[in-house]
Amino acid sequence: MSSDNDLESTDTEARFEFKKEEKSAYEAEVGLTEETVRKISDDKDEPDWMLQRRLRALEQYKEMPMPTDWPGQPDLSEVNVDEIIPYIRPDIETRGGEDDWDDLPDEIQDTFDKLGIPEAEQQALSGVGAQYESEIVYQNMQEQWEEKGVVFMDMDKAVQEHPELVREHFMTKAVPPSDNKFAALHGAVWSGGSFVYIPEGVTVQMPIQAYFRMNSEGMGQFEHTLIIAEENSEVHYIEGCSAPQYARHNLHSGGVEVFVKEGAHVQYSTVQNWSKNTYNLNTKRAIAEADGRMEWISGSMGSKATMLYPSTILKGPGASDNHITIAFAGEGQDIDTGAKVYHNAPNTKSTIESKSIAKDGGRTNYRGLVHIANGAKGSQTNVECDALMFDNESTSDTMPYMEIQDNEVDVAHEATVGKIGDEDIFYLQSRGLDDDDAKQMIVAGFIEPITEELPIEYAVELNRLIELEMEGSLG
Amino acid sequence: MSTQVHATVTEADVEQISAELGEPDWLTETRLEAFEALEALPMPSVIRTPGRDWTNLDALDYEELVDPLEWAEEKDRVEAEGVEVLSWAEALEDHGDLIEDHFGSVVDPQRDYLTALSTALFGAGTVVYVPEGVDAEDVKIRTTMNSRSLFNYTLVVAEKSSSVTILERQHTGEPVEGDQYYSGVVEVTAGENATVQYGALQNLAEDTYNFSIKRGHADTYGTINWIEGNLGSRLTKTSVETRLLGDGSESKIVGAFFGHDDQHFDLASRVWHEGEHTTADLVTRGVLDDTARSVYEGVQDVGEDAWDTNSYQRENTLMLSDDSEADASPKLIINNHDTEASHSATVGQVDQDDLFYMTSRGVDEESATNMLVEGFFVPVLEEVEVDELREDLDALVLERLGI
Repeated sequence: MSSDNDLESTDTEARFEFKKEEKSAYEAEVGLTEETVRKISDDKDEPDWMLQRRLRALEQYKEMPMPTDWPGQPDLSEVNVDEIIPYIRPDIETRGGEDDWDDLPDEIQDTFDKLGIPEAEQQALSGVGAQYESEIVYQNMQEQWEEKGVVFMDMDKAVQEHPELVREHFMTKAVPPSDNKFAALHGAVWSGGSFVYIPEGVTVQMPIQAYFRMNSEGMGQFEHTLIIAEENSEVHYIEGCSAPQYARHNLHSGGVEVFVKEGAHVQYSTVQNWSKNTYNLNTKRAIAEADGRMEWISGSMGSKATMLYPSTILKGPGASDNHITIAFAGEGQDIDTGAKVYHNAPNTKSTIESKSIAKDGGRTNYRGLVHIANGAKGSQTNVECDALMFDNESTSDTMPYMEIQDNEVDVAHEATVGKIGDEDIFYLQSRGLDDDDAKQMIVAGFIEPITEELPIEYAVELNRLIELEMEGSLG
Repeated sequence: MSTQVHATVTEADVEQISAELGEPDWLTETRLEAFEALEALPMPSVIRTPGRDWTNLDALDYEELVDPLEWAEEKDRVEAEGVEVLSWAEALEDHGDLIEDHFGSVVDPQRDYLTALSTALFGAGTVVYVPEGVDAEDVKIRTTMNSRSLFNYTLVVAEKSSSVTILERQHTGEPVEGDQYYSGVVEVTAGENATVQYGALQNLAEDTYNFSIKRGHADTYGTINWIEGNLGSRLTKTSVETRLLGDGSESKIVGAFFGHDDQHFDLASRVWHEGEHTTADLVTRGVLDDTARSVYEGVQDVGEDAWDTNSYQRENTLMLSDDSEADASPKLIINNHDTEASHSATVGQVDQDDLFYMTSRGVDEESATNMLVEGFFVPVLEEVEVDELREDLDALVLERLGI
């Protein structure tokens, strides 16, 4: 990809850390009250059922305690939802996103230019959505897909234009607000995100991408992504996220729901590069029907603390799941991530591959659950976790959980932890590489078994981010 | 639940047990403090996943189970040359200072509710004292439980450059009507360059609730090897633990279990690497039949100062029945990068290819399955260096298979 060269030449500060003046058309007050939730709903001109769902989620949010009893979980004591600005509508004219970058205000256009989104759109994507603060500001898809009935639109717009589909699928079956405190928070104040509908038998050949950007200090971003892939359809959705660094904490609490119908195939890839003052607490879940195939690819580089366990419920016989997780924790970062898979039908399969790297006092943890229900005969799961540690200040944990209720199954879990080998570094140095280059090469080799399975654009972006992380130039 | 215990157990009971053993004041105090702490102490930790507790300890009905003054057992203690294997009364008389130094130094008497209860109420038990430089094999402690509840406490002190092998067996003698409760605490101190091999084979009656904590501290170049066999009881909650405190210390924890009917085994193997150049190897294999359920937690914790650590863990479960359940959580907690650590876990059924091969050679399916199950335990049995324990374990496995 030619933009790789651009990435090489673009300096990091310019690429992710730049800040734009905070300009907005509407900004909710700090904190979370019923009044705020009503105002958000009102500002979006939502139907009453959605307002009722928000209010109910708010009630559930208030009733639920903060998660504090998970073994070794990241410290969330500084997460103060009452100090977060839950909703900021940027100052643009068209709701639901412009379809021409030139129609966007200069500073927003410049933001996404720097992030390389318009260029990627031209070269390798079927469609792009771009969210700035709480709203989608740009939304476009190639005409050929529109003609085939593919829908890719701003989630808020979908509430208005596809009420039946949204009402049936939105935070009902996959991620109900009762799932956890942050899912409930999300249900109350969600804004923006993508709605993707792929009709039966349609294969969207190039990926569609959404990019989420937080610009303001102390804000919370709560975008919701709903993907419905009808029978025998296929789509690859990529999301990217970033924010500049501020003194005050930002909160990102996205919700992702994916419905993989019979024989459909959905690939969901995330490059998460939030600034290191961001708490990243997401709930992502897919339900796969018979012979459906779900793939989660997650690269977690940014954030102060991440708690993210994309999950798949293998509901129909023959459904399969594939998780690829890469976590990189540097100074001050606590990346607690993994996977959850429920095998609820016969002959379902899952594979989980996790690679984590801890450096400069960072902590990574693989936390995962595989559940095989009684009756899920012939199911197979294979979990592999490898961790690499750079130094003695860092921490690397592995906490898998397996619940096996059927005997006709094949369950295997493996994990290794090791340090960067002095001998390997010595060897590379003796061949003329300096210490940093040697380490970089070893890390690239460590994650290669995973990167070689990734789509090329994703692998390039990920490698670049890891290089930046290795140089210590991010955050 | 603590109020329930107070309904059947009083401070006077604790004092009476202590007086009968002729205990010094410090031990009576330790018991009473543990007793007082009961109310505030939590149950031993159990693993929780969304919507599920892997073991429900709150379902234990202590009102029914605990009968502190009416305890009965038969103890068969086989001594080895140079080693003292003593009852508590004897040990307190002969080695009062030694016991005061070590009692409760490895297992915190107030670690959790059930440990505190055990500390407050133990009457049975054994002290094994291995003086410096003594090499001893085959200390045997057989406990036959003959009462509704039995609280057993074992203290092992192996001094510098000594070595000892201890075999402990628990089973039930006279049948007692209703449910029973066995609670055992084992504390092991392995001094510099000392080696302790502790094998336990639990085969209690299947209406017995069994709680046990076994924990050891290994000093420089010390070795503590545990073998833990679980076949009996209705519910077992047990943890086998080693803290590798000294440089160059080692531990191996070998476990084998075979559950059937509605048995529930909640088993943990835990090791903390705290000194430098330490090594741990955790190996557990288990078989489940009928509606039995196993819960396994393995923890390899590498501390910040544990340079040059090697730590390995393997857990394999074989499920013979569709209605059994195997839960497992092998955990790695690594705070020093100079570590080589790995773990693996598998769950599955008898290999179908193997079964097909054997039946095609004329072995009937049941015999073939039995042979494969027996074979499944071989890698664990091979880790057991003590012949008697290996043979006993194998015999119990065969008995369970109905051979």
